[in-house]
Amino acid sequence: MKYWTQRLTMVLALMLAVSMLTFASMNVLGDPLFNILGPISGDRKTPENLVKIEAAEKQYYLDKPLPERYVRWLGDFVTGDMGVRFAATGQPPVTELVKERLPRSLWLVFMAQVLALAIAVPWGVWSASRSNSLANKASTVAAFGFVSVPNFALAVILYYIFALKLGLFPLRYDASASFLTRKTQLLLPALTLALPGAAVYQRLLRTDLITTLQEDFILTARAKGVPRRQILFRHALRPSLFSVVTIFGVNAGGMIGGALVVETFFGIPGAGTAIVEAILREDFPVVLALVMIIATGFVVLNFVVDILYSILDPRVRS
Amino acid sequence: MRSEGRTVDAPPEAPSEFVEEKTLGWGFWLAVGWIVTVVGAAALAPYLPLKDPQENFLIQGERPPYSPSLEHFFGTDQDARDMFSRTIYGARVSLVVGFSAIAFGLLVGGSLGMMAGFLKGWFDRVVSFLFLVLLSFPALVLAILITSLLSRGLQTISMTIGILSIAPVGRLARAATLVYAERDFVMAARTIGAKNTRILLRELLPNVVIPMGAIALLGVAIVIVVEGALAFLGLSVEKGSTWGKLILNGTGTRVLESAPWVAFAPICALFLTVMALNYAGDRLRDYFDVKELSL
Repeated sequence: MKYWTQRLTMVLALMLAVSMLTFASMNVLGDPLFNILGPISGDRKTPENLVKIEAAEKQYYLDKPLPERYVRWLGDFVTGDMGVRFAATGQPPVTELVKERLPRSLWLVFMAQVLALAIAVPWGVWSASRSNSLANKASTVAAFGFVSVPNFALAVILYYIFALKLGLFPLRYDASASFLTRKTQLLLPALTLALPGAAVYQRLLRTDLITTLQEDFILTARAKGVPRRQILFRHALRPSLFSVVTIFGVNAGGMIGGALVVETFFGIPGAGTAIVEAILREDFPVVLALVMIIATGFVVLNFVVDILYSILDPRVRS
Repeated sequence: MRSEGRTVDAPPEAPSEFVEEKTLGWGFWLAVGWIVTVVGAAALAPYLPLKDPQENFLIQGERPPYSPSLEHFFGTDQDARDMFSRTIYGARVSLVVGFSAIAFGLLVGGSLGMMAGFLKGWFDRVVSFLFLVLLSFPALVLAILITSLLSRGLQTISMTIGILSIAPVGRLARAATLVYAERDFVMAARTIGAKNTRILLRELLPNVVIPMGAIALLGVAIVIVVEGALAFLGLSVEKGSTWGKLILNGTGTRVLESAPWVAFAPICALFLTVMALNYAGDRLRDYFDVKELSL
């Protein structure tokens, strides 16, 4: 119990530190007033501009000291209000924007993880069961290639082959299409994110499987005449999934980062494109909200992986 | 009577069966060869007999982009500029960013991590927490954040990516230091009255440097990719061309369809370089038995 309290405190402390860092860097390095009002923000001499400036300062609490603004923002954020955008109209509110954009990215990462596992498990099992053949050497090289190829390059390659040359996928994402069409449109971007992940999972799974296959209980099963396929999938697979579970959380974080690039390239209006647009327009409330959500998700996911890990192997807790 | 008297010496152990001699393998040298070639070509680009990367080699009556030929090995882009020399010149910025960012990460992260692992106590706790905070941001988001708030000069980009590499490098340095700080030779140095600075620099540093070198190669590969991703989002160095910017330039649907070489020449260069760095780093890591790596 004490272990979990400590871990949880750590997670909360991390989140606080991340939010302070993001909040402070954007307020100190950027110029919020300029981003709201544009060029007139520096002009305090003209009375009508001064009125506007003071109104904006009041609305966004810019006249208050930084720590107070941070506490206000944090209170709002925790209760689900992510504030008003800096864009001229302030519409739609950040919360609405996040609600619209985030699910698409989550779907994308979810699909990518499912695809990655769907590719990695059969691939890993196959290459562990034939660990010395020539085909296996080729598969090792292929895995190494997939790990090394940057996601933006892979996006271009897959887009060229499957969308442009084979015409299997549409060239642009169409947000107004029906539910099912939208999901098939996400397949190619998801595959871009999935392939490097699959290669990583496959390598880990293969190493663990080869160790497991040398255990006595496998020998016993083999002696009893259990079919080969059943030994691989029923007996050996589960105890070999340990490393894959560990890396799963870390990889999801990496995929969120990759989603930025992939969404931008394929023109998917998700959280990744929202963050890039907001940063280019210096629309800080949007950036802040999304960075916080992504970082929270990342930290929480790793926390969950930790829990899973210690359930699988209680020794970790001490 | 007893025959043992004659064989006092222990029989020589059979080496070949149990102890497999570790080698780096020919693949490692191939990878190193490629890296040296790319770095050399990039460094010497102005002195090599290359075409001017900015010049337009327009041919009368034909519209660029031109396909690869003996004149232009990798073809030309939409403005009839030679892709071969553009790819080589593009390597310059990518590699400078890659190596200087990792140098920054090694210097800052390495010394912080080593001090944390050696001094322990509250310093270790603070530094470890700082590393964790840095690792809680998805790297690319943090990079975009910093580059968008600061200027986009070569130094800023290198430093930004350098900051990203502090945490992973630092954690490795800390872990390695923790292991070596327990060893007898550190104890011995302390017994004869060596100061902390001396122990850190003369006893621990030489041991920590080796695994750090292996991770540095992997790090350069990652940095080059991050820089490419930034460029792809339009956030990299403003002046000069990088591999990322070259790829972006070739990915408009029309260009990609009619002239895939504009995108694929820099993609191949980037891919081969990243793969070579990854492979060389991987082999070195195996060779020196470096564990506990989390990038």
